[in-house]
Amino acid sequence: MAKEAYRGPLERVDECCWRIPKSYKQGMRVDGLIFTSEEMVDQLIKDQAPEQVANVAFLPGIQHASLAMPDIHWGYGFCIGGVAATDPEEGGVISPGGVGYDINCGVRLVRSNLFYRDVKPHLRALVESLFRNVPTGVGRTGRFKFDKKELARLLGEGPDYLVGRELGTLGDIDHTEARGRLDGADPTAVSDHALNRGSEQCGTLGSGNHFLEVQVVDHVFDEEAAAAMNLEKDMICVMIHSGSRGLGYQVCDDALARLRKAPEKYGIELPDRQLACAPVNSPEGQHYIAAMRAAANFAWCNRQLLMQQAREVFADVFGEPWQRLQMNLVYDVCHNIAKLEEHTVDGKTKKVWVHRKGATRAFPPGHPEVPSMYRKIGQPVIIPGDMGRASWVLVGQPGSMEKTFGTTCHGAGRAMSRTAAIKDAAGRRIDKELEARGVIARVPSHKGLAEEQPKAYKNVDDVVEVVHRAGLSRKVARMRPIGVIKG
Amino acid sequence: MYETFEHTADLGLRIRAKDLDTLFAEAAEALFSVLIEDKTTIAESRTLEIDIAGDDREFLLFDWLKTLLYHFDAEHLLFRSFEVRVRPDGLHGSARGEVVDRSRHELSHEVKAITYHGLRVEQTPDGWLAEVIVDI
Repeated sequence: MAKEAYRGPLERVDECCWRIPKSYKQGMRVDGLIFTSEEMVDQLIKDQAPEQVANVAFLPGIQHASLAMPDIHWGYGFCIGGVAATDPEEGGVISPGGVGYDINCGVRLVRSNLFYRDVKPHLRALVESLFRNVPTGVGRTGRFKFDKKELARLLGEGPDYLVGRELGTLGDIDHTEARGRLDGADPTAVSDHALNRGSEQCGTLGSGNHFLEVQVVDHVFDEEAAAAMNLEKDMICVMIHSGSRGLGYQVCDDALARLRKAPEKYGIELPDRQLACAPVNSPEGQHYIAAMRAAANFAWCNRQLLMQQAREVFADVFGEPWQRLQMNLVYDVCHNIAKLEEHTVDGKTKKVWVHRKGATRAFPPGHPEVPSMYRKIGQPVIIPGDMGRASWVLVGQPGSMEKTFGTTCHGAGRAMSRTAAIKDAAGRRIDKELEARGVIARVPSHKGLAEEQPKAYKNVDDVVEVVHRAGLSRKVARMRPIGVIKG
Repeated sequence: MYETFEHTADLGLRIRAKDLDTLFAEAAEALFSVLIEDKTTIAESRTLEIDIAGDDREFLLFDWLKTLLYHFDAEHLLFRSFEVRVRPDGLHGSARGEVVDRSRHELSHEVKAITYHGLRVEQTPDGWLAEVIVDI
């Protein structure tokens, strides 16, 4: 299946939203709704991402619409940036493809009391030390090893278990989505293969688009919200993007194998095998949910250990314990996950399974699941951009509950395939170009850097503009990268 | 013979061969060409025998690649050469390679998983064609 343009219908609903009517394909149960802008629509139809939005509308029990965020791009099964909510009472399904291989891939933001002027003279040493001390890249194992018993606790308890081992604080837990622990996680639902892949990978970054960045708060848009997060202009932050590593990939793989016969068994017609699913209320569905939750807890442990290693590097480079540098977690969000949440659909409040595949929860002010220190401003949303331009902090807005099951975008979204990005970078030194922009990047290979170069992504500012205007989330602060390590 | 094709976030592998056995062996080579920069640096000091049951050729190819990826990720095994016998009810494959040695092996991409999206195994006028998208 090579890259082909989308030729189906796409109707403009309003300034920020386009519709694929359910009449487009027989089998669609709801419309597709894509949040984007006039400027980004042309890019959108260049590949099969809108077709994937239509395909997701086939899922039994889907509510309201098959949704996509402005960072939408072509994935496998679901598009990246896809959101679908299903109602178990209406035969709703759970779909591992709607979560993705990297279960609870997500982002966390750490602040500090350092400012750009403090870090600038030490930046190269800092980036080098991060690159040496935080495991990055393919097949790299970490310094933290967990035996089967310990792994079971990570999977069942999440970072709570690490706090007990002095690898985190209670404050870290308070500032993590779902407090880093999804109830109902069952470590025994996770296969030995998955445990084997995960045993040496907790606390490793991985490769692809995962990164650890040193960033500077470049612009504050909302003083009140920024103050609540203890962020201010020119402050140094660390942003970490990673997920559940091999353990999560294997959990997804195992579930897809288990679900091969499910569509036939439950009479579900699907336009793409990668959309494999089972009713929430079925043994297959329940098994996946229990394993997926365990993998999500593991991912939070991974980001916790990555943060802990970054804190140690800062302490070493700046000669002060990280606590004195006030390297506190601002928030941690997941963007590949399925969660049972309460939402109002057609005036009726009910519990639905919200699948977010490259999309971030964005609960508004006052929502009971927003931690108390942020309840007045709304849930912090961390949006990583590309390594040359910017990343963002937003807060959830009421529009997300009305339109997108409490969801907003998750990043810039790719604009170029990996092969196209490598061709584009031929003859260029991306590291030198970044350095000219004031960014020091350390990666194991030039090819990896070429694939992840800024041009390979949409401009994250355009993506954020759409979710801001659509009332899904509001701009708080923009950060620019100054140091990048990647796998 | 294999090549990569464009997929926005991930990477597509297209493999052509005169018979099914070669198709499966070359698909495995294609997978490891994504994982490592230069596969000629892999010594063939270990052999892994793999048996997989199944009568659906697409699922069989998927399971074959998935199994190799598992051994890479969990046991750090890199493979260079493959022999496969595909039967109507499964396959037997052997893979030769060694454990990753970072002083000699430059690893390239992390493949998270093999996907079902657009997965094809088809007979063509000249032999066989397979397409598979891997999640990077």
